[in-house]
This record gives sequence, C-alpha cells and structure tokens, in this order.
Amino acid sequence: MPTYDVTIIGGGHNGLVTAAYLAKNGLKTLVLERRKVAGGGAVTEEIHPGFRVSVLDHAAGPFSAQVISDLKLLPFGLQMINPEARVLALSPEGRSLCVFNDTARTLSEVQKFSATDAKVYPEFVDSFARIGRVLAPLISMTPPSIDEPTAADLWQLGKVGLAFRGLGKKDEYRLLRWGPMAVADLVGEWFETELLRATVAARGIYGAFAGPWSAGTSLGLLWQAAMDGSAIGSASYPRGGMGALADALVGAVKAAGAEIRTRANVAAIVGAESDEAKVVLESGEEISSRIVVSNADPRRTFLDLVDPVDLDPNFLSKMRNYRAPGAAGKVNLALSGLPGFNGADPEKLTGRIHIGPEIDYLERAFDASKYGDFSSEPYLDITIPSLADPSLTPDGKHVMSIHVQFAPYQLKHGDWNTRRDEFGANVLNQLERYAPGLKNLVLAQQVITPFDLE
Amino acid sequence: KAVPMGMCCWFRLGLSGRAIISMLTRLRQANSKYDVIVIGGGHNGLVNAAYLARARKKVLVLERRHVLGGAAVTEEVFPGFKFSVCSYVVSLLRPEIIRELDLPRHGLEILPLDGTFTPMPNGDYLWRVNDHARTRREIARHSRLDAEAYDEYGKAMIEMAHFVKPIMSMTPPDPTSLDPKGWKNLAFLGRRFQKLSDDDKYNQVQLMTMSAVDFLDQWFETDVLKATMSASGIIGTFLGVRSPGTAYVLLHHYMGEIDGAFRSWGFARGGTGAISNAIGDAAREAGVEIRMEAAIEKILLRNGRATGVVLQNGDEIQAEVVSSSVDPRLTFMKMVGEEHLPDDFCTDLKRYKYRGSSGKVNLALDGLPDFKAMPGPGAHLRGAISISPSVEYMERAYDEAKYGRFSRRPYIDMVIPSLTDPSVAPPGKHVMSCFVQYAPYNLKEGNWDEKRDEFGDTVIDTIAEHAPNIRELIRDRQVLTPLDLEREFGLSEGNIFQGELTLEQLFFLRPAPGWAQYRTPIKNLYMCGSATHPGGGIMGAPGRNAALQLLKDGK
Repeated sequence: MPTYDVTIIGGGHNGLVTAAYLAKNGLKTLVLERRKVAGGGAVTEEIHPGFRVSVLDHAAGPFSAQVISDLKLLPFGLQMINPEARVLALSPEGRSLCVFNDTARTLSEVQKFSATDAKVYPEFVDSFARIGRVLAPLISMTPPSIDEPTAADLWQLGKVGLAFRGLGKKDEYRLLRWGPMAVADLVGEWFETELLRATVAARGIYGAFAGPWSAGTSLGLLWQAAMDGSAIGSASYPRGGMGALADALVGAVKAAGAEIRTRANVAAIVGAESDEAKVVLESGEEISSRIVVSNADPRRTFLDLVDPVDLDPNFLSKMRNYRAPGAAGKVNLALSGLPGFNGADPEKLTGRIHIGPEIDYLERAFDASKYGDFSSEPYLDITIPSLADPSLTPDGKHVMSIHVQFAPYQLKHGDWNTRRDEFGANVLNQLERYAPGLKNLVLAQQVITPFDLE
Repeated sequence: KAVPMGMCCWFRLGLSGRAIISMLTRLRQANSKYDVIVIGGGHNGLVNAAYLARARKKVLVLERRHVLGGAAVTEEVFPGFKFSVCSYVVSLLRPEIIRELDLPRHGLEILPLDGTFTPMPNGDYLWRVNDHARTRREIARHSRLDAEAYDEYGKAMIEMAHFVKPIMSMTPPDPTSLDPKGWKNLAFLGRRFQKLSDDDKYNQVQLMTMSAVDFLDQWFETDVLKATMSASGIIGTFLGVRSPGTAYVLLHHYMGEIDGAFRSWGFARGGTGAISNAIGDAAREAGVEIRMEAAIEKILLRNGRATGVVLQNGDEIQAEVVSSSVDPRLTFMKMVGEEHLPDDFCTDLKRYKYRGSSGKVNLALDGLPDFKAMPGPGAHLRGAISISPSVEYMERAYDEAKYGRFSRRPYIDMVIPSLTDPSVAPPGKHVMSCFVQYAPYNLKEGNWDEKRDEFGDTVIDTIAEHAPNIRELIRDRQVLTPLDLEREFGLSEGNIFQGELTLEQLFFLRPAPGWAQYRTPIKNLYMCGSATHPGGGIMGAPGRNAALQLLKDGK
C-alpha cells in the first residue's frame, strides 16, 4: 500500500495550490520542498536590516481570484493591495504618462500627449476586456489534446467557440488577427504616442524571450488581458510581499490536511511505469504514492528525475526541445528615502513604474540578449511596495523591486558570477537617468541573475 | 446572372434563342463592352484572364508597361544581356495551371537549378544538391547527426506539404460567418488534420508558430545548414530568421517538390518572362485581348458597382466585372477612391502591411565569379549561391533593417542562369541575378535615390568577400531598390509579394478581414493578385482561385 495518494515535487505556489485542492478533496497529499521554506519564487526576504522585499516576482497581478476564494486564502492572512495607479511610464525627457484603474483619469493623462489617442483609448480598453473574457475560460481548463480531444475538451472548446461567436464580427476578426501579430504592430495601429505604445507593448514581452517586433507577442498581451481583463498590467501585490502569499498558501495546505516537508530534495522518481511510484530523496529515503505530481519544470522532471528507460524516446526528445530560455534578472534596493522620478506625484508611484519609453528601446534591449549579452539599456519594470505597505521598511524608508529585461541565461562573454556587479551597476545607471539622485539613496542592493534563479 | 437588357423585347419580337444570342454577341462586340477587364498583365492577371476566357467570357487585360509579366518578366537591360529583372526562379507554379492551360505547348520550358552552394568565411562551404546521397555525404562532413536528421526532416516536411497543398487552391472560408459552405471547408481542414500522425500534428502547429531557426534547431546542429535553410523563411518578409512565424515559409520550399511539376527549383528558358509569355499566349488563344501601355486612372463606379475603367489617356472601357491583379493600395486607394469605400475596409487596408524588405542587383559579367571556398568554374555555380554563412549573420542583417538601414552585410541569393540557358547572354558572357535582403523601404536617413549606389556597392563588397574577382568582371549593373520596385513594377513599398506573408495576413485575413474571398465591398470588382490567398511567388493560384470564385458567383 502506498503511504500517500499523491506526492507533489516542489513547494512553489503551483505545487501548494495543487496540494490544497487535492487535500480538500480527501486525498492524502505530501509536498516535498528542497529549500527551507515552501513558496518557491514567492519569497519575501530581508535584504538589509529592517528592509523586506519580494525577492523574485514582485506583482501578483495575474494570481487567480478564483483560487483565492476557493482556498479561502484571506482568512490565512492574505491581503491584496491593488493601487489605483496601474503603471507610470517615464520618458527620458522627464515627461510621464500614468495609467489608472479609472479610465477617466487615464484619459486626461493620455490627453496630455495626444487627443487622437485619448479618443481611441476607451475602445481599446473595452475591446481587450471583451476579448479577454472570451479567452479567460481557456486559462482554467486543461489544454485539450490536439490529436484526440476528449468529449470534455470539445465541450469546453465549444463553449469558448460560442463565446467567440458572441463577440461580433469586428472583435472576432480582431482576435484572429491579433493573435499572431507583433505587439509593436498592434499598438501602432491604435496609438500615435510612442510612450503609450511602448507601455502597452511591454506587457506582451514581459518575462518572454521576445522583443516587441517578434511575431506572436500580441498573444502574450491578450493572454494577460484574459487574466485580469485589462490591456495594461496592474500592480496587485500581497501585504508583506510575495512571502505572505506563500504563507497563506502553506496555511491553507496544512488546514486542508496535507503534509509539507521542507529540506527534502528529490533525487529520482522510480517506477514511473508502475501503479506505485516512488520518489527517492537525496538522503536515500523512499516515499511511495499512487500518483506523483511534479511542479519542477519538464526538463528537470523528465531529463533529471525520471529514468530515461521509463520514457518514450520521442517524448524525451520533445522535452529536450522544450524551450525555457531565461530572459530576466532582478535587482532589489533598500532606499533611505523615496526617489524623485522627476517630481512625479507619489500616488502615481504606487503601481508599476515602466522604463522603456520607445518600441525601438524595447527591441534594442532584446537584440543584445539574442547574441548572448544583457541589455546595456534594459527594459525595467519597477515597484516600490513600501509605499502602500509600510510594514516592509522602517519609517520613511523604502524598498524598490526592479524586474530587468533582458538577461539571457547563457552569456557569450564571461559568466554571471563575474558579471553580476556590472549587471547591477548598469541597472542603477539607467535608473539614475529617470530618477536623478537615486544612487545616493541606496543602502543595500541585491542582484539576482538568471543563473541565481536556477 | 446579368440578363442582357431588353431580353424580353426580343422575345416579344418572336426571335429564337440562338438568334438572340448571336445578335447580342455581335452587338456587344460592336459596343466593345467586355465581360471582364483584368487590371495588370502579371502572371496572376494573365492566369485569371485565361481561366475566365476559357469559360467563354470576353476578357480584356490592361497592362501599364510595355512588356507583359509584371514582376515575372524578362528584359534586355543591357544589349545582349537578358535578365529576369525581379523574380528569378520558379518552383511553386501550380501544376494544375500548367496542365489546364497547357503551358509547355505555349513555350514554357523549365531548366533545372541544381542545389544551393553556401560559401563560408573560414574557407569551407556547404553544398546541397538534388542528388540526395551526395547531399547526405556533404552534410555528414559537417555533422553525422545532421546527415541522418536531414532525411527525417525531408520526410516530415513533405508530409506537411501534402497537408497544406489543398489549402492553396481553396477560397478561404469566413470564420465569422455561419455560411455552411465556409464551415464545410473548415471541417475539411479539420478532418485532414486529424488524419496526420501525432508527430506531424505537432510539427504542423510548430511550423505555423515558431521561428525558422527554433524549428530547425530541433533537427540540426550545424550552424551554416540552419542559416542557409532558414533563409527561405524570411524571403520577402520584414522578419528575421529568429522571428516567430517564419518556420511556416520553410514549407513553401517543399511545396514544389511534391507536385511533380519540376520537383525542385528551376529557371524558365528565356528567363522568368517566358512564364508570363506562355500564360499570355494561352490566354490569347482562349480569346483574351491584351492591351499594353494602357495605364489605368480610375475604376468606373455606378451605384456602388464597378462598370469599367478609365485609362490615363482618357479612354473609357466598359465591362460587367473588373478583376484587379494589382495590390489593394493601388486598386482601392488610387483607382476606386476612399470615399466610395466603407470606413472599416479602408482602415483595414491601411493596416495591411507591405514594408518591402528586399532589393535586386542584376549584373552583366565578362566571366564567372571565382569563389575562394571552391575555386574555378564548376557545377556549384549552376545552382543557387547563398550568402548566409551563419544564423548570427542573418539575424544581424535583420537588426539593421529594423532600425531603418539596409544591411551592411546582407543575405544574398545569387543565380547565374546563363550557365544553364546560354540564350540570355552573349557568348562567353554571363548574367548574374542577386536577390538582396534586407533593404527596408523606409530608410531612417536619406532616401533610396541617394542611397541606390551605396546599396549596390554594399552588395558587390559582400560578394567580393567570397569571390574577390567579381569586381573585375562587372560590365554593367542594375540596382533595384524597394523604391524602384514600387515605381517601375507597381509593387507598393517594394513588397515582392504584394504584402507581407505573415500569419495575420494569410488565408482568411488576406488582404482584409472578411474580404478574403476575392470579392470586394464594390460589387463586380474582384481581386486576383498576390495580395489574395494564397499569396505571392510565381504560383498563379490567386489568379486561378479568383477566376473560379468569380464564375461560381455567376458573374
């Protein structure tokens, strides 16, 4: 008899969510986490005495509201902060454009740049919201098998199909056209203001190994829109940083009756073909369960953990071809005060701050990474979570979390250990141009390269 | 469908049906009113006309230039040197067109273009030929694994090409319409897709979405092999070999192989213009009238219906239907006029992307180029010579174009047709045709009239890096920039395919959402050029598909 119904490898947020759902449904579930705390990328760390920041992802924008309510995460201490300002985009000349949740406020910002853009903006937002609603069900369904779709797959797809029909001819064609398009073309069709174009386009390339001129990046944008119903990303984050999300998830998992073991590094999965699979830990301990669920990426799961003799060679070669090129790095700063950003109203700094003023700027940032170098002028997506959540820092002080694109995993010259400082300095230099004096405020910095992420 | 006016009166006069028809025919000829006027005498316009005439339509083709063929044209640019000025090789011409129009009888003869020779800067080369065993040995010289993968790859691509083939000769359905006929076509595609093996299904999905290099990375490890193969994915587009969506075009390379027409790439004897001439000949035989140097000023409209054309010399010619093979910008913005078109349609047309990315350099040579990688004359000069030494080279060439400059070291595809067809050059002399990418239509600094010579020099410099003697051989050169292609051949922004072949402009989206069925918002005005499905290249499929659609509509 296996000890557990399900063993989950990896206690990242997806592993925890899976565990909570399974345990709620009465399955005896065990989560194995390599590190000393569960939560994977959702970690809050103290980077300087008294300064805490989300180490990796800084915005939980797309975290599913459905999951929050299903798992009742709020009673476990999760509190989401949703600033009214979504994005503040900065230009090198010191101009800025702020996008708010409230379309009317956004319009007056867009109006400063172009009356034409202000006129089409509401239609743009509505169209994205409508199309996003049609795509949304796809996110919460298991992708259908394209060779043998099951009846349930067809039923789900059928529903999406019907919703598609409901869009009307104009939006139907928009969806079909936009999918394969380069996001640079998409924003070019709507807007004339370069700063607005770049701000919208950035969402299509966020976290991707692609520039705005790469075909298909519009789909990235539509996909994001499907998650939160808006073309422009928001800066929703948990009070206490992403670690708080992990804590709430751990609480929910335990309350549901599942077990979490930390410092449990999985060395192998054996007997993948049999009914009783065994997970072997580095310590040599074997854990048996009916089912093994892996939250590790497919390459690690199938190329490292599972014995190749248990796998179809064809499947193996597909896994080898699974592409996961790292694209981004992270810089976290502890600051002695709030940086200026050319006098932008602090309220506008509570959302994301976008540095990447032109489509060409974003594309150039990507170009470098194609040839194995990080961008000399990177695209930066910044949050200052301490503005809305003072619990993170001592009074009057701040933490800044900077998502840096592009930073390829494989560098052509040197390696990440020797070039980490150069990478960090480069980000600070770039920031200094948009927030003069920022460098003097830095108390401590943490640089996370794609190599560290692994 | 168009009932001749006054039919009922004739009946009242008690004439027999046959007499009426013959009288009407005579009357119509006297009125010189045509059933169809085809705008543009390029290969698609001519195919369109030929099919319509074979269905007993009275057809007039109007060509602006003094030669027939559009971009599929042979011209004696320098005395004794005949160039396929624009399009220079052929593989995709639809076999049903060759068969149905009996083109060989009208003088079409295709000569083989054997292989692709890619010189490398380190003195090595990659030389792929039609002889499969030899190519395998050559690839094995670079990588044994790749030699094995090459077989598998070829088989997989041919499977894919078989799947795509029927789509080429189909009128695209309107996915937003509830018309059962459209759904029948979609269901047909779905069923065919289901019949593919699992691997092929995934291959197909990847082909539609991946970049050429990412797709080839899954099969091969040799950089130069990937670079030179990926080149076919970018021809005529404003995309790089690493841009998603370019993998699909790799398939086109194999389309020619499966149909048995020539089974590979070839030249037409007498240059590419010979293809247009053969189609033109077939069209004339079917009764088509072709008028040269007849530039069109306007398409005549009455009550939202096309009724004929006005020539630039002021002549008005009436017709029941107008079928335009020129691109949508010329057809609608220039010849119809925005004021006669629905706003949405105009917006879509303005969004339709041309942005030509390539140029052409035609060289008249005193002798043969001598490549450092393989000195002396030889069979390698009889095929295509591709300057595509590495993936990074290709991608850097693209990067420059993105920011509005032509590539300092461009991708060049060269052929020397005079080696295979001596009739195109004086004895002992040669013509060399160089297709060059990237050359963006919109330059950030300066304009193409100022930059033309610099562009030509760049091309010669690039070739000279591989074949240093080229400079001494050049007697004359013709440099065609995207601007020249636009002015001389009516290709908007110099796009050789009448609009980019990217996913958002293919199939039911070409050239505009809702207007992919060769019809237009103007009644009795049709489109039949490369801006319609299935797009550019010397295929002839748009011309044929449009003719069949027009006839099906009962025009």
